[in-house]
Order: sequence, then structure tokens, then C-alpha cells
Amino acid sequence: MKKETIIAVFLGLLFGAVVAIFISLKSKDIELSTNKVIAPPKENVLSVNLTGIEMQPLAISEPADRAIFEKNIIRFKAIIKMPCSFQSPIKDLVVKNTQGKFDLEFPLALGENSIKIAVYPKEKQFRPQEKFIKVYYIDSEL
Amino acid sequence: MIKYIKNCFIVSLLYCLLASSIVMAQTPSKMASSTPTVVDNDIQQLKDKIANKVSEIRKLNNKAVSGFVLNIDGNGMKIDNNGETNQVKFDDTLTKAFRVLGTTKKEIKTSDIVKKDYVIVSGVVTDNIVTANVVLIDENFLVDSGKITEIDKENYNIKVLASDKNTYSLDIETSTKQFMVNIKTLLNEVIGFTKLKEGDTVHFVVKKTGEEKNNNYSAYKILVIPQEYFIK
Repeated sequence: MKKETIIAVFLGLLFGAVVAIFISLKSKDIELSTNKVIAPPKENVLSVNLTGIEMQPLAISEPADRAIFEKNIIRFKAIIKMPCSFQSPIKDLVVKNTQGKFDLEFPLALGENSIKIAVYPKEKQFRPQEKFIKVYYIDSEL
Repeated sequence: MIKYIKNCFIVSLLYCLLASSIVMAQTPSKMASSTPTVVDNDIQQLKDKIANKVSEIRKLNNKAVSGFVLNIDGNGMKIDNNGETNQVKFDDTLTKAFRVLGTTKKEIKTSDIVKKDYVIVSGVVTDNIVTANVVLIDENFLVDSGKITEIDKENYNIKVLASDKNTYSLDIETSTKQFMVNIKTLLNEVIGFTKLKEGDTVHFVVKKTGEEKNNNYSAYKILVIPQEYFIK
């Protein structure tokens, strides 16, 4: 075999290999661009991922359950940054509570007062938290 | 003359001595009257301190319990609140009983309390027995919340599924106070029955008599949080 023939075969093989690599790479890109990806876009995945977010528990520091008061007004004290509702037989109250903690006056009726407190989180994934307390207003003059 | 002067001197000396003895006699009486005052003040302070301490201890041991009267006699009663029973003892000199009438109260005798009355008792607890200071006869209110699962427009009744999986059947009467939270302002607005929708969250207050069947109550008050609040 002549020297020129060997060079021509070598060059032919080299060119064929380059073309093959080019086509295979190009076909992968075409395949990715034409097929639908069955998954939410990256930006959406980031916003929906709530594994790092923890639900702030409703902890009321005052008043204590079954506490007895001599006045007909009490103060609710808690640290929570969500809208809350307070309901008793004599009062309904919904507060935005954007400051993180609240110190709220609440009226009492003579005798037993059943009060339900509910917190409504902004994240729809979380269920509302509820707390039920009973406090007593026993007039000091009795 | 000298004798006369001498007599005068002796008389004046005696007078001075007498006068000084009177003064000396008065001084101890002053002392005697001031000392008891100081002692009285000390006793009063001690009494006040003891009274305050007793009051504090009483407040610490003071407890309030409530429930429907199961049985009653002249000495005490047994009350029940959802299975939690308490024994209450009356003290003839101490126990006062009242009937709550809205915002006022009327004094009654403990003998006026009858079986099935809902009572609130405040008193000192010893050996699981409450010695009643005050007994109030009042109405028993149930406060709860849940989601509206069914609306009966013909009978003005709603079914509410509470978070503890209890289903309440609430009759909406003309006297029922109905409110809805404005989701923008969070203020309560008065509504009518037609505004209620299945899926809405409702907070409710009902009067319990202890004789209800199938969790059916006449609603005293409802507060609706529309489902739109949760769709943001």
C-alpha cells in the first residue's frame, strides 16, 4: 500500500469519528429540546419546598387554663406572628397580629368563661392551630 | 418678823415640793399611755400580716370547678363535667350561692340548688373535696369550631365537622348571632343564613343543657371564616 493511501484512510477515519461525535451530541440536544420534562420547573420547586419552614406553635403565656380572676378583664399574652381569632360567649375577636407578639385585653363574664383561640397560618399546607381554655371570673365581693 | 419669813419660806418650799411631785406623778402616766399605743400598732401590723398571708394561702389553694349537679343534700353535692366528677362541701358560715342572670346575680340559698343545675364552684380543695366559698348557678356554654360539611336550607341547619372529628348539628335560629370575618379588614360583619357555604370554617357557641341528642344544638352565636381567606 502506498504511503498516500495510508494517510487518506487515516484522515477518512479521523473525519468520520469527528462527524460521528458531532452528530451524537447534536441529537441529544435535539432530543432534550423536543421531549416534555415531567417535573415542575426549577424555580417552582424552590418556592414549594417547605421542608425548612417550621410551624410556629401557639404558646399562650397568659392566662393559665382554669385560672381564677377577680376582675372582669384579662390580658392574653403570646408570641406568634399570624392572624388569631378569639371566641367566647360574650366576645368575638380577630386580630392580624403582624408584630410577632400580642398583649390583648379580653372581657370576662361572671362565672365560667370558655375561650377558643385559633391561629390561621399563611402557608396553606399547615392546618389552623387551636387552643381551648376555661377561666373563671369570681367577683372579689362575693 | 424673821420667824414669819421663815414660815413663808417653809410653806413655799413645801408647795414647790408638792407641785414637783404632781409633775413627777404625771410623767409616768404619760409613759404608760404611750407604750400601749406602740404595742397596739405592732399587734395590728402583725394581724394584717397574718391576714394577708392567710389570704395568699387561700388564693393559692383556691380552685374553681364546674359541672352539672348529680346529687345534692344539705351538706354538699356531687358535680359532673364530661366524666370528671367533683365532690363539693357546703360550709354554713362560709358558703354563698348566687344565680347568674345575664350580667347580674341574685343571692340564693344552697337549698335552692337542684339536680341538673350547672354550677361553678370556687373554694379550697382538701382531700379532693372542694369546700365551697362561692357557688354560681349559670348556663353551660360550648365553644368550638370546624368546617361546614352540609347546609339544610329548609330547616336552617348546618352540619359542622370539628377538628376532634365530632360532627355537630347546629340549628340557626332567628336569635342566633351570625357574623362573618371580612378577609380584607378582618372585621366581623353581620350576615344572614344564605351567606353560609359548605367548606367555610365556622366558630360557634352553643348552650348545653346536658340533654341534647345526636350532638344537635341550637346555635347561640356563629363566626364564619370564609374559605376565600385560605385561598391566597
